[in-house]
Amino acid sequence: MSSKMLFYILKRVLLAILTIWIVITVTFFVMHSVPGGPFVGEKAISKEAQAALEAKYGLDKPLWEQYTTYLEDIVTRFDFGPSLKQRGRMVIDIIMDGMKTSAKLGIIAACYAAVLGITLGAVAALRRNTLLDKTIMVITTAFVSMPSFIMGSFLLIIFSTKLGWLPANGASQGGLILPIITLGLYPMAYITRLTRSSMLDVLGQDYIRTARAKGVSGGKIIFGHALKNSLIPVITYFGPMLAFIVTGSMVVEQIFAVPGIGRQFVSSITNRDYTMIMGTTIFLASLIVIMNLVSDLLYKAVDPRIEFD
Amino acid sequence: MKKLLALVLALVMAMSCVVFASAEEATSIAVCLSSEPDTLDPALNSAVDGATMLAHLFSGLATWSTDENGKLVIVAECAEELTEGVVNEDGTVTYTYTLKDGLTWSDGKALTANDFVFAWKRAASTALGADYGYMFEVVKGYPDELAVEATDEKTIVITLNNAVAYWNELLAFPTYFPVREDVVASEAWATEAATYVCNGPYTMSDWAHNSVITLSKNPNYFKADTVTMDKIECYLSDDANNMLANFENGDWLLIDDVPTAEIANLKVNYPEEFVIAGQIGTYYVCWNVNEEILPEGCELTGAEAEAARQEIRNALGLLLDRNYICDEIGQAGQVPASSFVAMGLTDADGSEFYKNTGVSEDFVGYYNTTVEAIDANWDAALTVLEKYYTVDEATGMFTNFPAMEYLYNTSEGHKAIGEYLQSAFAAVGINMTLVNQEWNTFLNTRKDGQYSIARNGWLADYNDPICFLDMWTSFSGNNDVQYGKGAHADLAMYNLDLTAFGYDIKVENGTWAETYDVLINTIKTCTDNEARYAMMHVAEDMLMATGCIVPLYFYTDIYMIDDSVEGFYSNPLGYKYFMNCTITK
Repeated sequence: MSSKMLFYILKRVLLAILTIWIVITVTFFVMHSVPGGPFVGEKAISKEAQAALEAKYGLDKPLWEQYTTYLEDIVTRFDFGPSLKQRGRMVIDIIMDGMKTSAKLGIIAACYAAVLGITLGAVAALRRNTLLDKTIMVITTAFVSMPSFIMGSFLLIIFSTKLGWLPANGASQGGLILPIITLGLYPMAYITRLTRSSMLDVLGQDYIRTARAKGVSGGKIIFGHALKNSLIPVITYFGPMLAFIVTGSMVVEQIFAVPGIGRQFVSSITNRDYTMIMGTTIFLASLIVIMNLVSDLLYKAVDPRIEFD
Repeated sequence: MKKLLALVLALVMAMSCVVFASAEEATSIAVCLSSEPDTLDPALNSAVDGATMLAHLFSGLATWSTDENGKLVIVAECAEELTEGVVNEDGTVTYTYTLKDGLTWSDGKALTANDFVFAWKRAASTALGADYGYMFEVVKGYPDELAVEATDEKTIVITLNNAVAYWNELLAFPTYFPVREDVVASEAWATEAATYVCNGPYTMSDWAHNSVITLSKNPNYFKADTVTMDKIECYLSDDANNMLANFENGDWLLIDDVPTAEIANLKVNYPEEFVIAGQIGTYYVCWNVNEEILPEGCELTGAEAEAARQEIRNALGLLLDRNYICDEIGQAGQVPASSFVAMGLTDADGSEFYKNTGVSEDFVGYYNTTVEAIDANWDAALTVLEKYYTVDEATGMFTNFPAMEYLYNTSEGHKAIGEYLQSAFAAVGINMTLVNQEWNTFLNTRKDGQYSIARNGWLADYNDPICFLDMWTSFSGNNDVQYGKGAHADLAMYNLDLTAFGYDIKVENGTWAETYDVLINTIKTCTDNEARYAMMHVAEDMLMATGCIVPLYFYTDIYMIDDSVEGFYSNPLGYKYFMNCTITK
């Protein structure tokens, strides 16, 4: 690894830490400025009890002190504290619990999206303007434009309610099939379209014509030159997409009752579960920052012409 | 050869054992009550779905059950019997309970009177800050010096401030369930099956967070032979559409929520399985008592102005067609409400409290909610409004009613009701805009009184009207109307005469704190049951006269249950009981 690259990675890591710190700070203060609180319920508890709870979780201290204590706990002990709403559970445990399912779902969905997307995209490009190409394009346009809550409900009604083939809840392994399909359809369609256009672009390049003229076999041109070079935009997309998909989708999790992290994230906000809001935000932000960094590094591997600066 | 034969025979025997075993397979039921409960610590829980699970996991001194006619009754559970209290000289009442023999925790350790004493003191304490800590309000020494003690291993002595009609019901309430000190020492005890120690018909065998909680029959339960259902799987879903999909494909046999938009279809398609059960609660609209609704330039001030506002608020309530709200918007068998204390709460003589309220022989409650009365109500309302507001002769509309905002929490159902109110008021020229807020913000805004009119609702925690009345004292944390707060605190215009009940209390032109607060305190310490209920009617009369509380309907509990399930029952608080269920298919 060159020193230039090391320097680049170091710079990006520092930048990532800065980004996460900004996310923490903004979230922390915005969150506390929103009306309501973790101990507000339909049936009010006494002022004394409220005060006792606030003291227990340190919410009675000045906001600035709460902020510095929070940062200190994270940096020195990687301690995200207890959930304020799910009494007795630690934030990190809740996140890990949700991530077990979300990550499984996300990784499988991302993999099938990438494999199918690249294949279909390449096929469509190579069979440009044939019926096959047009069929692929129509279907992917439909998947790209259809929101996941419609797609999910649609699959649920057909495969679960009408045909009864698959369970409608994510408590069992079989129940994860439909959410995986739903999660992956959009990125798959998007990748198909990306690959197709990028492949067409590459196929029109001079070096492909040269290779053809030199008598290189069709297979080698496609897999050795065209496909590899047309994957750069796919990689740009794949990194952040993987981060998003792995961190769960509230909509899909809700439709299929999947015990993922997405639902937790949303309910923590409604509940004003401050520590959970912070924990999930930091976690999701870090993942996205890391995935971005990884995909940037991957460019280099695919296209040596790209320079780090 | 013999060896081979023996082997084959042995195999056949083994196989038949397997077949036999599977024929005797444990019965189990899959249900979905709600999403992941915040807690399954009996002291901390305040949700109905949590209470249902706790009712299967724990045994209190008393429990809800059904008698031979299928009627709901409260019976002794851990206690030998539900004893009568002994009235002390100072008016306090002492109850002494003896625990049954041989009671144990799910881990085999003996259950003692001390476990109850510890659990109650813990649940009531300020330090724990439980939502339902106030369920111990009736106990002497609440919150931190509860008058409860274990005189020996099996005897619990507890002293209440005064006789409480619903005391046995409280003993069956989850907040009163026992917990063991060494178990709850770690706050995480109630978050996973491994550390969850209970004493009820079931134990928690697994908790896959956000997914499913599995309850298995507790062999250590003292009445284990009466439990017919071996396993209950409580699936966790927060989406009514998802619940319905799982019900329709036969995976879940009971779901406790259905999509509002589907109710009309479900009633037709599942006439037997779609159930509308009674629930003790009232959906209502509340006014901010300090909101100015008199027209600009009105010269009334102080008590006179408030008297006018009372009249106007009551008149506006008459403009609403509650039958339309129940039949067209709610669609779940809700009952139009003409009083605040909900249907289902009983009066001193055992009759329905709400049927004994009101002002007229001709109808139940404070106004007539029948379809026939709509025109008369409308005319009566207009007559009042015409006294205070200018009418445009050409259109018949009021022109100088101040613009108002209706605050509700984001939900399709609440929005539909808001839009109905808006259109009903618009029909007489009153301009009301709708504002929705996300739940937590909404609660905060409403509690702080930063609204003019707001959506509201209240569910009973036990069968006593006081739980609908004590929330309106000036010092209550649930006093969203802001009675006795702000400008209203100084308005001396309320009368209270309790001399007929043997009290030396007669206030004329007093403030809310001098009248209503005093009335509620008197009710809470009253030992004469009849007088107590009569005074609760007085309290409701006072509330309804202010016009700040506009009841719309009494809640119902809707759920779907597969017709193969037998032996199921639920109570008016919405708890569902599966322990005596069998599955016939």
